[in-house]
Amino acid sequence: MINLKTKGFYYKVYALLPIIILFISVLNEFDLNYLNLDYFSFNFPFILIFFFSLKEFKNFDYLLVFLAGLINDTVVGLPLGLSSLSYMLICIATAYFRNITIRPNPIKDWFYFLFILSLINSLNYSILTLFFSYNLVLMNYLVNTFFTFSFYIVFVSLFKFYLKGIND
Amino acid sequence: MASSRDDFVIAIRSAFLKKSTQQKFSLLTLVFISIFVIILSNLDFKVIRYLKIGINEIVYRSSFVVSIPENLVKNTFTEIIDYSTFFRDFKKNREELTDLKSKNISSQITQYENKELKELINDYVSSSDKVLAKIIVDHDSPFLKSIIINKGSKDNIKIGTNIYDQSYLVGRVIEVNYKTSRVLLLSDLNSNVPVTIAPQNVQAIITGSDDNTAQIKYMKSGITSELTDKSIVYTSGTGAIFKSGIPIGKIRINENDKSKKFKVEFYSDFSQLKYVFAEIITKSELAKGNQEEENSANNQKPIDAKLRILEDELEIIEQSNLKFKNENEDLKSKINNLNNKILGFQTEISKQREKINQFDIDKGELEFLRLNLEYSHKCRKSFFNVKGFSVGTEDYKKCILNKGRIND
Repeated sequence: MINLKTKGFYYKVYALLPIIILFISVLNEFDLNYLNLDYFSFNFPFILIFFFSLKEFKNFDYLLVFLAGLINDTVVGLPLGLSSLSYMLICIATAYFRNITIRPNPIKDWFYFLFILSLINSLNYSILTLFFSYNLVLMNYLVNTFFTFSFYIVFVSLFKFYLKGIND
Repeated sequence: MASSRDDFVIAIRSAFLKKSTQQKFSLLTLVFISIFVIILSNLDFKVIRYLKIGINEIVYRSSFVVSIPENLVKNTFTEIIDYSTFFRDFKKNREELTDLKSKNISSQITQYENKELKELINDYVSSSDKVLAKIIVDHDSPFLKSIIINKGSKDNIKIGTNIYDQSYLVGRVIEVNYKTSRVLLLSDLNSNVPVTIAPQNVQAIITGSDDNTAQIKYMKSGITSELTDKSIVYTSGTGAIFKSGIPIGKIRINENDKSKKFKVEFYSDFSQLKYVFAEIITKSELAKGNQEEENSANNQKPIDAKLRILEDELEIIEQSNLKFKNENEDLKSKINNLNNKILGFQTEISKQREKINQFDIDKGELEFLRLNLEYSHKCRKSFFNVKGFSVGTEDYKKCILNKGRIND
């Protein structure tokens, strides 16, 4: 195994990789729906932010997450600041969860993620419909929440390789 | 109990306020900034507007650059599929092209006539230019269906500008930046379009649906039975949001056991858009100069020449109308005279009839008198003729006219 710490620049890039992926994902807004399935969508930034703010928060700059939220709002066309607020709420939830957890358990994390995801999507839906008079399909939110929750465990297993690399 | 509450408070406080090793801001600060940004972005101050435009420009361009690899993969995949169906499509397109060429000629004539008529009824002439725009960001968000094009206020794009795919309507501009604009697609739930459904001529409003079709939001009740699968949906122009007569799609009927559901299938596939046309409309008021200038200008315009011909025709019609009126009056007086003459003749005829009747009476009387002289001895009752009749009675008269009694 190559020791990344000996390679100053590469280590920095590797440490910033989650943030870089976050920025790419919000700019590209990819949903992997190449088969054009109806309703299919999931929120990759939520999974990424939740996992890294929970496990690797030291290299996960909240300010950059905040900026990623602003970019996401601009790309998607949502009111500016709404995604930033959602991302910050995830970060707060994970910080709280980290503080109260003594023995981490992936299943507990997973279901805590579901709770946070539902809460934030509900908040988003409420703000958009009540304050901004957007017409939204609730089913889209429910399906999005379901797939984001389902894919969490898949992406976590990939992210663990990254964590293993940075810890070695 | 108290200690668990303390733990909770400590955990919350830590989560909100504690700055970790490399964090420059606490989460609470960032939450407040987020809320501040949400409020600020909805205020329509000039500075904020320009700042938003600046952010949009940078982010849209960055998004375009970042999306290049994914778009490359997508496009390659689409091209491979296109090649596999190339020959079949070619044959089909050739047939369609022949058909369309013939239809295009009549369509052009109709358009020309339509334009002329519109110019006649309006006090302004609207001319439109279609500007080709490239789609730089096309993320199929499940919540908002919009695209970003590479034309903005620099290219005279305004909020509400209609966007086309070929000649089909795809949406309208809802946000304009200097060199980019956001287009709300017709398939979005927030998009409402006043339409006409042909050939039934039904007015309705359609709105986007979650499955890339549109649904009929408002329509007069009781006329749904008139709609068929072949009904065409095009913009009605009501509300002046969209131009009238732009094709959108066709009606698709989903029949259940209980009810019929009407959906509008768009002619354009919004997921395959690469380039679109933005229609820039410029309205120019008709000049109100002095009469001479107007006349001299009119001479050069074909529409005014047409108007002059119409005026001449009107004058001719008025003159002939007057002539017909005079002739009509003459004929009426002649008819009156003739009626009077007829009345005179009728009275004369009745007089002559009376005379004839009188003459007939007189003639009968004379005949009776003549026969009376001859046959009175046969009919008069006397000492020798007991079977006779008294003079003056009806039987006596009959007897005279019969030249004596029948038995004699």
